[in-house]
Amino acid sequence: MALPIPEGSATTALPTLATAAPPPLPSLVSSRQLRMQRIGRSLRLWIPVSILGVIIFTAFIWPLVYTLPSPTNGNILDAGLPPFSPGHLLGTDPVGVDLFSYYVYGTQTSLEIAVGTTIIGMAIGCAIGVTAAFAGGWVDAVLSRVLDILIAFPALILVLVVSYALGPSKLHLTYALAFFSIPVFGRVARGATLVLRSSPFMTAARLSGTRNWRIIARHIMPNILPGIISFSLLGLGLVIIIEGAIDFLGQGIEPPQPSLGQAIAQGQTTMTATPEYVLMPSIGLLILVIALNMFGDALRERWGVQ
Amino acid sequence: MALVQQVQLQSGPPGAANRARRVAGSPAWRLVGRRLLAAIPVLWGVTLLTYAIMSTLPNTTAQAQLGLNATQAQVAALNHALGLDQPFWTRYWHWFVAVLHGNLGTSISNQSVNAELASKLPVTLVLLAYALVVAVVLAIIVAVLAARKPNGIADRISLAISMIGLSAAPYAFAFVLIIVFAVKLGWFPVISGSLGSTPMSYFKALTLPAASIGFGLFAIYTRILRADLVEQMQREDYIVTAKAKGVPPWRVLIRHALRNSMFTLITIIGLNLGALVGATAIIETIFSVPGIGQDLINGIQNHDFPLIEGIVLVFALLTVFGNLLADLMYAVLDPRIRYGTSNS
Amino acid sequence: MSEALLEVEDLRVGFAAGGLEVRAVDGVSFSVAPGNTLAIIGESGSGKTVSCRAIMGLLPSGANINGSARLRGTELIGLSDSEMRKHRGSDMAMVFQDPARSLNPTIRVGLQIAEAIRTHHTVSKREAQTQAVELLRLVRIPAAERRFHEYPHQLSGGMRQRVMIAMALACRPKLLIADEATTALDVTTQAQIMELLLDLQEELDMALIMISHDLGLAASYADEVIVMYAGKIVEQAPAAQLFGAGGAVRMRYTRALLDAIPHMERPAHAELPIVGGRPPDPTALPPGCSFAPRCHHAQDDCREKVPALAEHAPGHRWACWHPCENGGAA
Repeated sequence: MALPIPEGSATTALPTLATAAPPPLPSLVSSRQLRMQRIGRSLRLWIPVSILGVIIFTAFIWPLVYTLPSPTNGNILDAGLPPFSPGHLLGTDPVGVDLFSYYVYGTQTSLEIAVGTTIIGMAIGCAIGVTAAFAGGWVDAVLSRVLDILIAFPALILVLVVSYALGPSKLHLTYALAFFSIPVFGRVARGATLVLRSSPFMTAARLSGTRNWRIIARHIMPNILPGIISFSLLGLGLVIIIEGAIDFLGQGIEPPQPSLGQAIAQGQTTMTATPEYVLMPSIGLLILVIALNMFGDALRERWGVQ
Repeated sequence: MALVQQVQLQSGPPGAANRARRVAGSPAWRLVGRRLLAAIPVLWGVTLLTYAIMSTLPNTTAQAQLGLNATQAQVAALNHALGLDQPFWTRYWHWFVAVLHGNLGTSISNQSVNAELASKLPVTLVLLAYALVVAVVLAIIVAVLAARKPNGIADRISLAISMIGLSAAPYAFAFVLIIVFAVKLGWFPVISGSLGSTPMSYFKALTLPAASIGFGLFAIYTRILRADLVEQMQREDYIVTAKAKGVPPWRVLIRHALRNSMFTLITIIGLNLGALVGATAIIETIFSVPGIGQDLINGIQNHDFPLIEGIVLVFALLTVFGNLLADLMYAVLDPRIRYGTSNS
Repeated sequence: MSEALLEVEDLRVGFAAGGLEVRAVDGVSFSVAPGNTLAIIGESGSGKTVSCRAIMGLLPSGANINGSARLRGTELIGLSDSEMRKHRGSDMAMVFQDPARSLNPTIRVGLQIAEAIRTHHTVSKREAQTQAVELLRLVRIPAAERRFHEYPHQLSGGMRQRVMIAMALACRPKLLIADEATTALDVTTQAQIMELLLDLQEELDMALIMISHDLGLAASYADEVIVMYAGKIVEQAPAAQLFGAGGAVRMRYTRALLDAIPHMERPAHAELPIVGGRPPDPTALPPGCSFAPRCHHAQDDCREKVPALAEHAPGHRWACWHPCENGGAA
């Protein structure tokens, strides 16, 4: 049934019988659709960025500009003032400490610890993860097992215990938290590097004799960094929550040093009568972490990372 | 909590992209055996790490037992008698052997740690299970509704709720729940210290604590499940085949896509167990639930060493076992692993 | 005065992707008579798959579809999804390229076939099972009862494709679209599957649309051939008029495709006359004939004005300013 395919040779072209095609069709896709898509993407990035900007400004720059009342020593005569009282934007707590100032300095502390933890975790974790993926073989196997064990741990419990052991202080808390974020970054970095390792341009680099550290610096790091960074923003929120938990239990930042976790714990004592002392720091914490998470999501969207 | 979701999806068992390319490997039992074997070093490592961390703490058991008036010499003597001044590995070995025999020591209030655990552990387990089950069931329902029309109303609402759940600290959320449901509305008890005798009162007491823990879990599961479902519906060829057969959209979503997403869900549940366990400890404290979480916090405040050791070990083992269970479920449910290839 | 089974008129499909518009199908018209075989040939991105998916209603919701496609008089374009579902799988069915990915890996194959039956007919599970086993026999799978209970990964590539065909035929459709159905298979299996399709076609009096990039396949099995490039039809004729003795291929693109097929008779080590370059970016189509950038015979008017598809010889349409003489290569 198959028809043979002719071979042959033609010489000149036939006199043309074709006529010109009708003019091109109008666009089938609504430009409104496209505009809405783009606006949505922008909003998802700039709203959290603005919120974060406001929070960071208020926490770090505002106290330099305008002297806030002390967050630790309160005037007992001023106890229990409602929000918008003169001199106390958010009122005072039952012992007279200005709440606005307390939250501002507490947020400072949380952010400092979270950023410190994330930077340490990212640096060491990436180093371990990239090494493991790059080296392969038994090095990878051993390192992976170790990372698995650390990740398998309920981190909060151990950070609690370690913090209790070392004594409450910002630095100790940072170390303890960093210790448990290292394996997570390690896993992520290892995964990302493994994906890269099998790609053609990597093979080309290795074949051309590029030295290992150069490959890592110039090829691997720039490619895994977007994923790691957007991941770290999610991690920031998580660290803030865990750190808050430890403060809440009284094992973290030593009261009367301000911390959001402590604010929530203290608010708990008057929860039934004055719920706002619990709700204010809780909602503040929520907004901060939401902004961080949304920012991380928006970056992932932009940079096209999985 | 969101941290860990990313981790597995980047480096762990295959996700959506690999679904159709999975190698049909050896029969299920060999895989189960391999996983169990691989879990043993992890379990051992967990015991070692637990003990190592604990031993960095100044062990004040002797001090606590003798009271504040003890002299240095007396403390040192008791330390020696308890074997607390021996080198690390010796101590670890003794402790390890004791643990293997099921003996977790005595707490400073002179109760057997085992007995304490035995009475309190069931409550914690029920709380965990309650939170987990409710979170999973709700997550499946919401994710399916959301995936039915991506970027539709149900989807946007579910994404908003998930974002809040991911970002809300469980302890803060607990207070919101208490204020609304216990104080203002009076539906649930504020303190869950007494669990009551009937199953009904038991669950009522545990509802707010379970909700506090479960909300965060629900958020993670929903987010991931929804993403997985949407990706399947848009990218996978077998979905197109199902549509080409004329199968109605709900059926395609539930019978075809959801089935495959269950694997991702199981993986995520396993991964987040560590966070689950941590949140439980705090929530128990807030609600005064008589479980091992509260015991742990109290133990820390009382410097009750043996108790802390025992509970941390149990928590760590729970997490590892949970992960192992998730792994095994995966292996058992995936037909590609169960049946392998047959030559034809 | 043919009663065409499927009549497509001026079909146009566009997508919005990342802020740009992609015109995937640009004014395609053809018809398929009952029991006939139509081959749609083209490179990836030519719009062949998109056109057929548009007819089946399987495009993602972001697609804009205009034009008309009538199946036995019923207009398909613009139907609601619930209306389309009545036709999909029952009047017309589709078989896809990669059976490994096209079957749900967690459901037994027999049940997937039974699903096709029970979607359109209310029958008991047992009855559907019996029919499914019958279908497995129809597509010549040995040990059909046993195979019913197996999972896709337990079958070979050829058998999986047979299962796909069985699923498609479950409700005895009048039109079967085979989208690169044999591309993922080895040559021997390919021939077997094609033979199976043709036999089934005869047995069930079914029209077949074959989508492929392989002109050789079209020459061997098709009654009518359409060649697509960059979303438009560039040549259309009954197979006999294109291939075989007295056949004439006019459009330069079709000629180039034919020439690129290796032949035994060519001298050894001769360079293969491939079609250089790549298909145009659908978001930035060149002015004039879309094939002009790659055509050896392109002239100025080719690059300025788009040639229309017109019937220059009875039954034979092409779109080319300077077509081949006598169907041969220049």
